Amino acid sequence: MSRPPGRKQDSHKISRELFVLTYGALVAQLCKDYEKDEDVNSCLDKMGYGIGIRLIDDFLAHSDVKRCRSYSETADMIAQVAFKMYLGVTPSVSCSSAAGNEFSLILDKNPLVDFVEELPVERASLCYCNLLCGVIRGALEMVHLAAEVTFLQDRLKGDAVTEIGITFLRKAEDKKAKKK
Amino acid sequence: METGLFSGSVHIGIIYHPPQNYPLYIRSVPTENELKFHYTVHTSLDVVDEKISAMGKAMVDQRELYLGLLYPTEDYKVYGYVTNSKVKFVMVVDSSNTALRDNEIRSMFRKLHNSYTDIMCNPFYNPGDRIHSRAFDNMVNSMMMQVC
Repeated sequence: MSRPPGRKQDSHKISRELFVLTYGALVAQLCKDYEKDEDVNSCLDKMGYGIGIRLIDDFLAHSDVKRCRSYSETADMIAQVAFKMYLGVTPSVSCSSAAGNEFSLILDKNPLVDFVEELPVERASLCYCNLLCGVIRGALEMVHLAAEVTFLQDRLKGDAVTEIGITFLRKAEDKKAKKK
Repeated sequence: METGLFSGSVHIGIIYHPPQNYPLYIRSVPTENELKFHYTVHTSLDVVDEKISAMGKAMVDQRELYLGLLYPTEDYKVYGYVTNSKVKFVMVVDSSNTALRDNEIRSMFRKLHNSYTDIMCNPFYNPGDRIHSRAFDNMVNSMMMQVC
């Protein structure tokens, strides 16, 4: 699956519907496999983590990113480059702590929930897109940034917006600190 | 059948085909005599089945999905539409509603079909479940308001 970096991406795209339906089938199956919402959420997170630690190299190879010098630049990179590249949306970023290590990404549009109107009644605390949190966490870890990533608000649960919170846990290492 | 406010009435049913033919969604405006329209919608299923078998090996294209006027009674006109997956849509309209034209009915069915497709894509919806969706209700409401 490796492609030479810098080469233009294949113009052949996979259908968005197929991707959204696949993700939906994944979540629905997990809901059948696990009774508790927390179990489904943590399973999605683990899966996302597995994707993130692999996806980071693809990201770095295909985007011409410069080294990020701060958490803020990193958060911007995630929102404006990574989300755009993989999901076609650009969440807005804001810093939510004076220490400068907590950020929130507000998703205006979320393609993963295209066909999901609301969560089923018996799944009220399901974090439908928790995979994304795992992906971000895994990718950051591979560039030596430990972070906690969770959904702070979720439109599917009735909140006004969908908000992902990223909390960086340690100072970035100076050396090979290219970021996702 | 008629209240003072409405110039006519419209009733929409979606019936799941194989093989139980029970309704997934029924909506009437106005809501009096809803039971009678359940009955009308149900009896029209036979006509739908007739039409489908009459089409036989004909190529199924968009126009074949629309079955047209199934049968007129003295009070109502019944229209039908069937998807490739054999899900049937039935619409019962007041005969006094002469303003409703064939292509309007066609486009109403197409909207229903599109919204039904969206419902099917919901990973939590199992085919054969009754349809409980706000988005679907809103679409049907606005469609029926235009007609009445």
